[in-house]
Amino acid sequence: MRSNLLRIILLVSILLASVSLVISARRVNLPGVDTGYQPVQPIAYSHRLHAGELAIPCQYCHYAAEKSRRAGVPAASICMNCHSFVTASLGALREEEKAAKAEGREMKPIESPELRKLYDALGLGLDLKPDPSKEMEPIVWTRVHDLPDFAYFDHRPHVAAMVACQSCHGPVETMERVRQEASLTMGWCVKCHRNNSERTVSGRPVKAPLDCATCHF
Amino acid sequence: MKIKDQVKTKYRLSLQQDAIDEQPQQAGFEGGGADRSRVERRTFLKMAGFTVGAGLSWGCTRGGDRKLVPYLVAPEEVVPGRPYWYASVCGACPAGCGVLAKNLDGRPVKLEGNPDHPISQGGLCAIGQASVLALYDAKRLKAPFNRGQESDWSIVDQEISTEIERLVASGAKVRFLTDSCLGPTDSHIIEQFLDRFDDGRLVIYDSISSSAIADAHALSHGIRAVPRYHFEKADFIVSFDADFLGTWISPVEYTRGYRAGRRFDGELRAFSHHTQFESHLSLTGSNADQRVVVRPGGMRAAVAHLADTVARRLGKKVLSSDLPESGVEQTVMDDICKRLTTHRPGRALIVSGENDRQIQLIVNHLNEMLGAYDAGVVDLEQASLQRRGDDRALLELRDEMARGEVDALFIRGVNPVYDLPFGQELAAAMEGTALVVSFSDQHNETAEHAAFVCPEPHFLESWSDSEPVQGVFAIRQPVLRPIGNSRTMMESLARWTGVSAEARDIIRDSWRQRVFPRAADGATFRQFWDKTLHDGWTEVARDAVESAYDAGALAGLNLRPQAEPKSLVAVTHASMAVFDGRHAHNAWLHEMPDPITKMTWDNFAAIATATAREHGLQTGDEVRLTTPDGVALTLPVLVQPGLHGNAIAVALGYGRKGTDRFTAIGPRWLEGTPTIEEGGMIGANAAPLIRIVDGNLQFSGRAVTLEATGVKRPVGCTQQHHSLYIPERLAIEENERRDIVRETTVIALKTESAHGEHGHDEHLSLWEEHAMPDHHWGLSVDLNACTGCSACVVSCQAENNIPVVGRDEVVRSREMHWMRIDRYYAGENEDIDVVFMPMMCQHCDNAPCETVCPVQATAQSAEGLNQQIYNRCVGTRYCANNCPYKVRRFNWFNYPKEDRLQNLALNPDVTIRTRGVMEKCSLCVQRIQYAKIESKRQGRPITDGEIEPACAQSCPAKAIVFGDLNDPESRLVRANQDPRQYQVLAELGVKPVVSYLKKVRNRTESGGSDERS
Repeated sequence: MRSNLLRIILLVSILLASVSLVISARRVNLPGVDTGYQPVQPIAYSHRLHAGELAIPCQYCHYAAEKSRRAGVPAASICMNCHSFVTASLGALREEEKAAKAEGREMKPIESPELRKLYDALGLGLDLKPDPSKEMEPIVWTRVHDLPDFAYFDHRPHVAAMVACQSCHGPVETMERVRQEASLTMGWCVKCHRNNSERTVSGRPVKAPLDCATCHF
Repeated sequence: MKIKDQVKTKYRLSLQQDAIDEQPQQAGFEGGGADRSRVERRTFLKMAGFTVGAGLSWGCTRGGDRKLVPYLVAPEEVVPGRPYWYASVCGACPAGCGVLAKNLDGRPVKLEGNPDHPISQGGLCAIGQASVLALYDAKRLKAPFNRGQESDWSIVDQEISTEIERLVASGAKVRFLTDSCLGPTDSHIIEQFLDRFDDGRLVIYDSISSSAIADAHALSHGIRAVPRYHFEKADFIVSFDADFLGTWISPVEYTRGYRAGRRFDGELRAFSHHTQFESHLSLTGSNADQRVVVRPGGMRAAVAHLADTVARRLGKKVLSSDLPESGVEQTVMDDICKRLTTHRPGRALIVSGENDRQIQLIVNHLNEMLGAYDAGVVDLEQASLQRRGDDRALLELRDEMARGEVDALFIRGVNPVYDLPFGQELAAAMEGTALVVSFSDQHNETAEHAAFVCPEPHFLESWSDSEPVQGVFAIRQPVLRPIGNSRTMMESLARWTGVSAEARDIIRDSWRQRVFPRAADGATFRQFWDKTLHDGWTEVARDAVESAYDAGALAGLNLRPQAEPKSLVAVTHASMAVFDGRHAHNAWLHEMPDPITKMTWDNFAAIATATAREHGLQTGDEVRLTTPDGVALTLPVLVQPGLHGNAIAVALGYGRKGTDRFTAIGPRWLEGTPTIEEGGMIGANAAPLIRIVDGNLQFSGRAVTLEATGVKRPVGCTQQHHSLYIPERLAIEENERRDIVRETTVIALKTESAHGEHGHDEHLSLWEEHAMPDHHWGLSVDLNACTGCSACVVSCQAENNIPVVGRDEVVRSREMHWMRIDRYYAGENEDIDVVFMPMMCQHCDNAPCETVCPVQATAQSAEGLNQQIYNRCVGTRYCANNCPYKVRRFNWFNYPKEDRLQNLALNPDVTIRTRGVMEKCSLCVQRIQYAKIESKRQGRPITDGEIEPACAQSCPAKAIVFGDLNDPESRLVRANQDPRQYQVLAELGVKPVVSYLKKVRNRTESGGSDERS
């Protein structure tokens, strides 16, 4: 009887394990690797809309990639370059226009709730002017692509060599919410450094260094 | 019985089952049968395995989220992550060197000398390098204090303003006490402030006083000023105890000038001769071609003898026919005189650091005879403003305070209660003064007695200006928002007189009125201001200076000796680490080994070898020094060759209040002892040994008696650590003495270069040459240029996040400095030669450390660097064992990093190493990487001189040259073609890329030999 019980317990645990493995095995990562990481961000910014549909170049916002180690996340003031007058999506505006016509009134200024978060961070009121009663609160984004502190990755030589952003960050222009496509492990970096002649957009051969001190110092 | 048979009947099963359980196990049963425990264990393990596996796969998530917080409104010109350089002026001492502050992510992390600034010319001394740490000092006062209680500005301003009004109305005597770290705008604001009072006076004093130089010039030339000394114009330098390469007035400037006159770049152009007269061994004396040890107190006689010898030779009037004896032989004087007078006039420079008017008058007389004034070597037309102290005014203030006549005292930038011999009297008098305001940023010895402490911000976070020499103006701009609620003195003074203005506006106004009109180039004020702010300095027209030598100044010269000839005399001097004590709270400076003695974390009584023998003392024995009038100091002894037998040299600047903040510095572990105990002080204050003679502060001459206390003190002396010598018991015969340091003489060089000799050895190698097609980085260290000042050591520490380990760890040879300056002595007792050798990782092509690392944490890069990969290192320490140069440092502990404000001084471009990881000089690979990446980004090749490791950049003498060995045009390759070039321990065949250039002495025979002239 006991051996039967044991067999049952064994079977159940195998079943549970396989079930959980199947559930979580969409991507099984080694420790420290975060492929597929797609955290929720404070503002539901869509790269698909901005970088894909509107075709804004990556370095318009992530200008630091050219001149600094880190590409960084753009400041809210960059968003305001457009969003000081674009307050809602085209669809929403059309809706409001239709409703206004139907009700025989003027169009109300409408705001998308996500953009309202941006305006709140900058302490702007409903009229998009600085509201003294509001506090400015920086937007705290969650970092998606990260490397350990002992690896000093530098965007500049990659941008200078015209490595496409998508080579490492994947098809960001199709992502509603940014996720990490590549493993970003050292082996993955070194593989490209070894085969770099096939990878550059411009087609010109570059010499990607293989020294340890390139990244570890 | 088999289990299968028993299953049939339930009852019988259980009864029979019980019976079987009680039976001992029978032989012949198969495995998997009745041995329940084996089945259970295996099943348990299987179950455990699966559960853990399931749990892992389900529960394995990533670590905590990292956050990214960008600007809300991005500043236009700033790209986050990119360093920006701002020109400013160092405020660590009155010399006023121009600096470039590296601002990374909104805060300064490194200071470098401004290459264009006429004083620093790209160099920066150790104290300047360490001042970035002082910026992030959590113990700086963050708010004003009112009678010991923290207060706020509105209350303090209110009280002080009321008090000031009362003082103005009552015709009060107001004194403002400060030092020479006073910019032109500050001076003007103070003067304006004091004008309101009936009797307001500014008293400037320097704790390391050069007041006698100015006094002497007032008598001899009619101008009360310290001249600007141009060492680069001098072929013959005679220094009477002036430590111009170490601590005297403007060491960075003088080092540059000195080096310029002693250049051997493959061809000998001019090589100056330097004679040093001194009683203790100073940095300058250790670099001299000829060093004459003078009895302490005998300097007056020595200068007088030289003056008269020169006078006789030139047919001028002698000072006296009956000079007291100096202890220096006349042949030596004749020799020097011959050198000074044989060549064309105007190429000699006589300086003296003695704060004695008699000596300075004779020095002026000598310089005048030798034409130094006319040739501009001693420049009174562009006089220095780096020492404006007036000892007589200070003593007058002391007397006024003692009589209780002073109604209000404002103290800024000085600590008189600490660094003056009558400090305690002054403290008592301060208690009785109606209003005492201190602008100090700590509760130092003086501020303790002040009713109001109105802290000033650090020089890196405030606006100010500077005029180091007449006509050269510089702006000190903030590189950081002030940490804490401090306020500059000029703003405070403005506020107390009813004006609410910001420092920047006050300076702009002042410049618009007083500096800009003197500028010649026709620009608008805005253009002038912006250009000065960008460049870091400007030069404007100065008033013509009329000076004529008045020989009558020598009338009434007092040539009596300054101290008794037979007794032990204390010689106090500024410390190269803490200067006069103002940097005593800086851990980097305490850990920096003193250039001469290699001592850390303490001051000591340096005694001559003869004295040590006489008293039976050894280094580390504690002694008590007592003077006849009751001053007593307890210090450990250091046996120091090169001292006169009568001299006991003690460094000033120690024994400061608040140094017990270093109790917890360094790692805490079982056998560790704290650097200083609670309530203790690092070192002992030698200020009571300063005398007042003839209205001047005298830093030597006090008779002392020495007695051993019997206590042995641990001495953190780094000289014996990481020695390159083989211990005798391990050496093969003739191999113990390796010629690590090589030197030569000017004469030998001339002959050698004529013959085109090169002493390079070629070694056969078992290893294949590394192919280095792109770059092959290398370094060249010119031992002739290196003065041993250790600016490179602190610069490396600042750049590479090198931890401070504390005294106990230093005693165990575990100091972490990647760069060390080895100091070698040749000779004995008084008559020694000193050579300094900066030693860092030699980045050997056939590195002995690379082959022994079990995990390949150290590897050769394709550009010649020996890389140390911290994340791979497992801490075997075999590499350090194998290194013949002993340059590898092991992180024995996780050095404390709890002070989060101080962590802002860390350089984010360099990994912080954890316990168990080996580290060493990386040739500032982060700088090499930066330059390579920038060149790629800009699509251009790397230019020679673009990359400068921290050590090379900071060196005031530019002794270290970094470059690409593959580039035939680089300065490095040209330096390597110098006949003086050699490599240390080249015979080991490790092929280091660091080459040294032999030290050159301007002598007939090289050092260590008996014949020196």
